[in-house]
Amino acid sequence: MRTKTKTVTLQLNVHKVTLGTKLLRNRTLILMCMPAIIFFIVFNYIPMPGAYIAFTDFNYNKGIFGSRFVGFKNFEFLFNSGKLWQLTRNTVLYNLAFIFLGNALQVIIALMLNSILSKTFRKVSQTLLFLPYFISAVLVGFMVYALFNYDYGFINGVLKNLGQDPISFYSKAGVWPVIIIVANLWQSTGYGSIVYFAALCGIDQSLIEAARIDGANGAQVIRYILLPSLKSTAIILILFSLGGIMKGNFGLFYNIVGTANANLQPMTDIIELYVYRTLINQFNFPYSTAAGLYQSIFGFIIVNIANAVVRKIDPEYALF
Amino acid sequence: MGLAAAMLLPLAACGGGSTTTTTQATTAATEGDGSAAGTETSGDMTAANVDTSKFVTITMLVLGNKPSNGRMEAALAAENEIYKEKINAELQLQYIEWTDWQTNYQLTLASGDGSIDLVGTATDWLYAWQLVQKGAFLPLDDTMLQAYAPSTYEAVGEDWDLCTLDGSIWFIPEDQYTQWTNHGIYYRGDWAAEAGLEDVSNFEELGEYFQYIVDNKEGVIPWDVSGANNTGGLLGGYLGSNLEITTILGVDPAIFTYNNDDPYTVTSPYMEGDTLVEAAKLFKEWSDAGYWREDVLNYTGDSRDGMYAGTSGADQHHTQTYVTTTRPIMDEKQPGSDLQYFYWGEDNNNVTRDLKTHGAMAVAASSANPERALMLYDLLRNDETLYRLHNYGIEGEDYVVTDDGELDRPEGYDATTDALDTNFWYGRMDEYELTPVSNYDGAAELYEELDSKAHDYALTKFAFDATNVQTEIAALTEVYNQYIPSLAYGKFEDPEAAVAEFRAALTSAGYDTVLAEVQKQLDELKASEG
Repeated sequence: MRTKTKTVTLQLNVHKVTLGTKLLRNRTLILMCMPAIIFFIVFNYIPMPGAYIAFTDFNYNKGIFGSRFVGFKNFEFLFNSGKLWQLTRNTVLYNLAFIFLGNALQVIIALMLNSILSKTFRKVSQTLLFLPYFISAVLVGFMVYALFNYDYGFINGVLKNLGQDPISFYSKAGVWPVIIIVANLWQSTGYGSIVYFAALCGIDQSLIEAARIDGANGAQVIRYILLPSLKSTAIILILFSLGGIMKGNFGLFYNIVGTANANLQPMTDIIELYVYRTLINQFNFPYSTAAGLYQSIFGFIIVNIANAVVRKIDPEYALF
Repeated sequence: MGLAAAMLLPLAACGGGSTTTTTQATTAATEGDGSAAGTETSGDMTAANVDTSKFVTITMLVLGNKPSNGRMEAALAAENEIYKEKINAELQLQYIEWTDWQTNYQLTLASGDGSIDLVGTATDWLYAWQLVQKGAFLPLDDTMLQAYAPSTYEAVGEDWDLCTLDGSIWFIPEDQYTQWTNHGIYYRGDWAAEAGLEDVSNFEELGEYFQYIVDNKEGVIPWDVSGANNTGGLLGGYLGSNLEITTILGVDPAIFTYNNDDPYTVTSPYMEGDTLVEAAKLFKEWSDAGYWREDVLNYTGDSRDGMYAGTSGADQHHTQTYVTTTRPIMDEKQPGSDLQYFYWGEDNNNVTRDLKTHGAMAVAASSANPERALMLYDLLRNDETLYRLHNYGIEGEDYVVTDDGELDRPEGYDATTDALDTNFWYGRMDEYELTPVSNYDGAAELYEELDSKAHDYALTKFAFDATNVQTEIAALTEVYNQYIPSLAYGKFEDPEAAVAEFRAALTSAGYDTVLAEVQKQLDELKASEG
């Protein structure tokens, strides 16, 4: 429904009109976009020239643009350290898990919410699902520690009381992908399901009634009416999140895993943590910027590839 | 997009770096390399001739949490009346709070926006030499210091040599102040006595002490440390207590050392010998025995608070903290605990005296008023009234002086809420210091003992230039940070294999290249010193 309206508005503006007239005509829309536009300018566009640090021998007194240009020298370290593959793999795999499991779960939650008849119960469930989204990653880190730590952790407490040996989670790298993914889903699912729920609410009820009359059961209504109507929303949401596939959730990883426990790093190290460590351990601004720039450029390439593939399959769904 | 491009322009324009201006127009070429901005120093330089007609604010960068009780502001207001009258300036403090202080300190200096005039620094814990190479400080010279900071210039005398590189003086040392900041571990004398230990002065005894706690003190973790915040654990202490070595400062990661009888030859126990293996094995045993939390690397609590509360049997820090803080507070919070101190190198007499540049004051390269900054520092450091106002506050309100000249606090004073916290650790003077009444009584005895065992750090002037080996240094640091916490807290299943793996990783990260570079620069230093 929403995409339809958008196309209509766009078509209205296709007439040969001057930029000024266009701006004037859409002034309300533009005004409403202003906060977002300003946000992106201030936090994403203005700092961009700073990426130049990655190519300099940065001198505090000479500043970013006064420092000596050294070309790609600062990137050598990234490639020589051999970490790049591990970091890229972890970042991408975690994000794929977050995106696909996340969206699947969000659809399921939305369907479940949709089939709750009591309004009060639905509102309460929605709010409860929503709440974890507002919990800061710092607290999530503490909660994870409280659950999993060896000496006083909740899970090990239960195990000990049952006469079992406690498990040292913080020295087993293998369990952390699961813990991190669950923590992420727990935080984001409720919030993400809202969009799907809204899409479900927009479905013409007469369709469902007609199907019921024709003898469709609940599962069939979901399979043939609800799910197909969510398809376009799901594709758009997944495409949008693919744009951030190289962007790790620093707060979550930093607070859950920290930077001192190298045992977990093979499975938990993401580019953000690496950039942070380079900065905090070495104060090497050029090196950490170089790692960050690599991430942005690689992410940019991935988004373009994903978009090209989608356009090939169905141009309607391409982002640009 | 057009809007975005327009917004970029002013940023590009201000990236060019600001140039410093001085109040007088006469110029004299400043000695030193070109890494600092072209500064103009007055040709006719005596403090009396400085044009102080314009009122300026001098901002001093200090480390620590900014106090919120108003005491610091009150003391500064009193000070500023004097500064205004004498040099038409006022002092303002900018704090680098303890959260992520290393990064914030570097970031503040990297911004180079001219908002800082005086920078508290140090060659051992605040990266002074690295910052010199990164161009953060203004090069000073004899003429300038003589003119604007005459009392300090005179008092420092020969020690200027410690702060000189490439013909310029880069910071002012805190060389007239004695303190001991050698590290060690605090343990409870009462529990050690119960354990049948006369004292703890080596790692074997420390292990016995810890084991006694595990066996007899329910609910107490022998050393409830946060491995996330103290990543090196007891490793450095173990190495220093078993080898006659000293870590070379200013080279990252801190794995390069010299043998005390031969300071100009670089080596590393992290690469050579068996001591690292012994240490790793010991810490594995200690970890398995539960001397710290199983999840120590992810725990972020505070072992000192734990010790005060009686849930941690030890805490790790330096002599000064023991004498001024932990011992007096433990006497109060855990009466009879008889907190003791095992300092690294106690058994093998390997104690390094405090550096004269453990505190130092530099002028920021981007300071707009370097002359006035130096004049203000000179007053603060040498005028007893100002010194006391700044370091102790207002007499009668913040402190009182007892009949025998010691520092006491007025009735109802609570150090946790009423502290002044001006944190001036960059030019204290023994001459004006008052000994706090609360200090540990045995301090003098401890200092004497330390003095008899201590030697000076031999390479104070060594300013390692990392330009040629930056890639290797970054790779070594990454390897170091990956392995050291797990080695120090015994988190490798097979310590011996882990050390071998660690050494192989160091080698492939370029250990030999860095070692050769350090050696080369040490040779140059030795040659230049004759």
